[in-house]
Amino acid sequence: MLLNGIIPHILGGELEGKVIVDGQDVSQSKVQNMAHSVGLLFQDPEWMFATLQVEDEVAFGPENLRQPAQEITAQVTRSLEYVGMNHLRKNLVWALSGGQIQKLGLAAVLAMAPEIIVLDEPTANLDPATTHAVHELILRLRGEGRTIILVTKDLDEFMAQADHMILLSEGCVLAQGTPRSVITEHGSIMLDLGVWLPDPTEIGLRLKQQGFLKNKSIPITVAEAVAVLQDIRFKENPPGQKEPVIGETLIHAENVQFGYTRKTKTLRGVSFDIRQGEIVAIVGQNGAGKSTLSKMLVGLLKPSSGNLTMFGRKASQWNVQDLANDVALVFQNPEHQFLCDTVHEELAYSLLAQGISDPEEVGKRVKAMLERLNITDSAETHPFSLSAGSKRRLGVATMLVGGRARLLIVDEPTYGQDRRLTERLMELINNLRAEGITVIMITHDMRLVDAYVDRAIVMANGEKIFDGPPRELFQSPDIVERASLRITALRRIVDGLRAAGTQVPGGLNIVDSFVAAVDYV
Amino acid sequence: MSENTLQYIDNNSIVHRADALSKLAWVLIVVIFTFQFQSAAARGIMLASLLILAIVFARVPLAAILRASPLIFGVALLLGIFHLLITPGETILFSFGPLTATQEGLTKGLEFFFRLAIMVMASFMLIWTTDIRELMVGLVHLGIPYRYAFAVFMALRFLPIVQQEVDAVKAAHAIRGRASSSPIRHRFRLWQRYLFTVIVNGLRKAESTALAIESRGFGAYPDRTYVKEFRWTATGILLMLLFLSLGIFLVFWERQGI
Repeated sequence: MLLNGIIPHILGGELEGKVIVDGQDVSQSKVQNMAHSVGLLFQDPEWMFATLQVEDEVAFGPENLRQPAQEITAQVTRSLEYVGMNHLRKNLVWALSGGQIQKLGLAAVLAMAPEIIVLDEPTANLDPATTHAVHELILRLRGEGRTIILVTKDLDEFMAQADHMILLSEGCVLAQGTPRSVITEHGSIMLDLGVWLPDPTEIGLRLKQQGFLKNKSIPITVAEAVAVLQDIRFKENPPGQKEPVIGETLIHAENVQFGYTRKTKTLRGVSFDIRQGEIVAIVGQNGAGKSTLSKMLVGLLKPSSGNLTMFGRKASQWNVQDLANDVALVFQNPEHQFLCDTVHEELAYSLLAQGISDPEEVGKRVKAMLERLNITDSAETHPFSLSAGSKRRLGVATMLVGGRARLLIVDEPTYGQDRRLTERLMELINNLRAEGITVIMITHDMRLVDAYVDRAIVMANGEKIFDGPPRELFQSPDIVERASLRITALRRIVDGLRAAGTQVPGGLNIVDSFVAAVDYV
Repeated sequence: MSENTLQYIDNNSIVHRADALSKLAWVLIVVIFTFQFQSAAARGIMLASLLILAIVFARVPLAAILRASPLIFGVALLLGIFHLLITPGETILFSFGPLTATQEGLTKGLEFFFRLAIMVMASFMLIWTTDIRELMVGLVHLGIPYRYAFAVFMALRFLPIVQQEVDAVKAAHAIRGRASSSPIRHRFRLWQRYLFTVIVNGLRKAESTALAIESRGFGAYPDRTYVKEFRWTATGILLMLLFLSLGIFLVFWERQGI
C-alpha cells in the first residue's frame, strides 16, 4: 500500500525515509495520481468491484482517468481477452466464480496499463487448478515486461520464477536477493519463522541440516529435487500405511439431492458414509457442492430428495438446535459464530446452551479449555480482537467445550493462516480424533489432505467422483484433473524418483516422514 | 449461491430497458400520489398496478416478490395493526383485552399499510430493474458531481453483499444453540449480535473498498468519462406519464366520485 501512496495518504502513520515509484516520491503525490503507474489487486476483489457488469467494471478505472470512451472500449476488450473472459463481458459480477472474480480483478487492473502490478494474496481461496491458472497469467504478464510485486504465502510456483525475493518479519527486511540466494543463506531462518516453503526446498534444507547433500545446492523445483535426490537410499522399515478406520456408521447418505432453486441442482445424488473416528476431507473445485453438503450435515439445509441418516435418525427429524449438540461446524470466518463480548463468556455460552448451568462446573470447564488452547491470557479479550489463529481455535473450542459433540466439521482450516498456526490447529484436530471425535475437513489444501486424512471424498459438479484414501486419489490423474485438484509437490518428487529408478517406500505423505526415511545420499 | 431480495434481477424486460432517471422520477411520482390519496380504494388500485407492472411487464419472478414480501407487506402490516389498535374513535369494531379496534382505527391502519407498502414496493421495483451504474450516470447527467452521485449508489451496490453476510451470520449463530431459557431474550441477543458482526465486518470491508476504488483513480479528476452515456428512453417517459395519469385520475375519482 506504500507503493501506490495509500500509506501515508489514507491510512496515515508516520513515514520515515523515501519511497520512489517510477520517479515519483510517493509522499509527495496523491493516491489517485499513482494509479497511472501502480495497479493494485486485493485479496478479496469482490469488495473492490464498483459496478454490476463485467465490462463496466473493467472500464471503471480508465473512465476515472478521463480516457476517451472509444479508447476505453478497445482497452476493455483487450484486457478481457487477455484473461480469457471476453465472452462473459455482459455478465453480472456477483454471478462469477472465485477464479473468474480474480481474473476480472486482474483485467480491471490491466485496463489502466500500469507499469507495476501489486498483487496481495491473489489466490488465497481458490481451488488448486484455478490457482495454477491465475499463476500462469501472472507469469505471462511478467514475460511481457511488466513488473509484478506479489505478496504471498504460497511460494510453490514462484520460487523458481521470481527474480527478486524479499523476506519480511515483524516489519523488517530480513533478507533479499534472488530466491536461490535467499534460500541458500537464510533457508533455516525461513523454516523457523513458519514460512510455507515449497516441498522440494524444505526437503533440501532439512536434509542439509542433517548433514546430507554436502556439495549440492538446495532444489527449488520438483525437477531439481529429483535430480539432487536421485541416488538417495531409504531406510528398510518405512512408516506403515494408514489402516482404514472401521467404526460405527454415524452418517449415512444415499442418493442425496439438493437445489437452491428449482432449476439448478447443487447436489445431484450423493451417497457416502461417515464412520466414528475418521478424519475425512471433502475436496473439489469452488462451487462443487462442498459447502452445501456441510450445511446439510449440521441441519441448516435439508435434502430435497434421497436418504440422509445422522446418528440413527433421519435428517428431516432433526432440528438445528438439537443437532448442534452432536455436530460442530467451524465456519470459514469464525467471527460469524461469536455471540459474546469476551472469550470467557463465549465458552460459557456454549456450555449453557448444552444445559450445563452450574457456575462452578462452567468455570472449571472454561478454564480447562482456555488452558488447552493456550489463550488463558486472553480470557477477557473481545473475540473479535484475537489474532487470526486464536479466533480459529476459539471457533473450534466453542463448538467442543460442551464435550458432547461427536462430529466436527471444519471449513477450510488453512484459510488466512500461516504454517505454524495450521500445524497447531491440525494438532488440536488430531488430539480430538484420538478422543474419538470424527472430523470432516473441507479444504483446497492438498498437503493437508495427504498428510492428515484417512479418506477423501471428491466432489465435482454436485456429484461424488471419488471416495477413498488420499494415496489412491493421487494415483488417479483423471480424477485429480476433473476435480481441479493438483498432486502435491512431494508426491511428484516421489513419482519422479521412482521413474528415475530409485526405490522409494510407500506412505511418505509428509515432508517429515520423507526426511525421516532417508538413510544416506 | 442463494438468491438475494435486494439485488438487480437480470431479465432484460421492457421495464429494465427504460432509462434510470425516468424510473427514479416514477418512484417519486408514485410516492407523492400515495400521500395525496384519501381512500383505501385509490391506494389499493395503486398497489395493484405496481404489482401488475412488476409481474407482467418487468417479469419479476413471483418467488422474488414472495421473498421480499416480509419487507414490503410485513412491516406495513405491523404498522397498520399498530394504528388500528391505538387510534381512538367512536364506532367500536371489537375489543381484545385492553385493546380496542375502532372504525377510525381501521381506516387509519389501512392508510398506513398502503402508504408504506406502496413506497417500499416502488423502491424495490427500482432496485430490481435498474443497473445502479445507469442511475449514477443519470444523476451526473443532471449536473450532480460524480463523487456524490456515486457515493449514494455504492451503498445500493453493497446491499446484496451485506445481506449475504447477514445470512452467513444467522447460519453460524443457529448452530451455537440457545443458552437462555427465554426465547425472547435469546432473539434479542441474536439481533444485537447480527448488527454488531455485520457492522464491524461492513466497516472493515467498506474501508478496503474505498482503498480499492481510489487506487483505480476514482476522484483523481473533478470529472471523468463514460463509456455508456445517459439517454432518456421513450419507454421510461411513457412509464412516468402512465402513472402520472393514473394518479391524477384516481385523485379526481376519489374527490368527485366520477
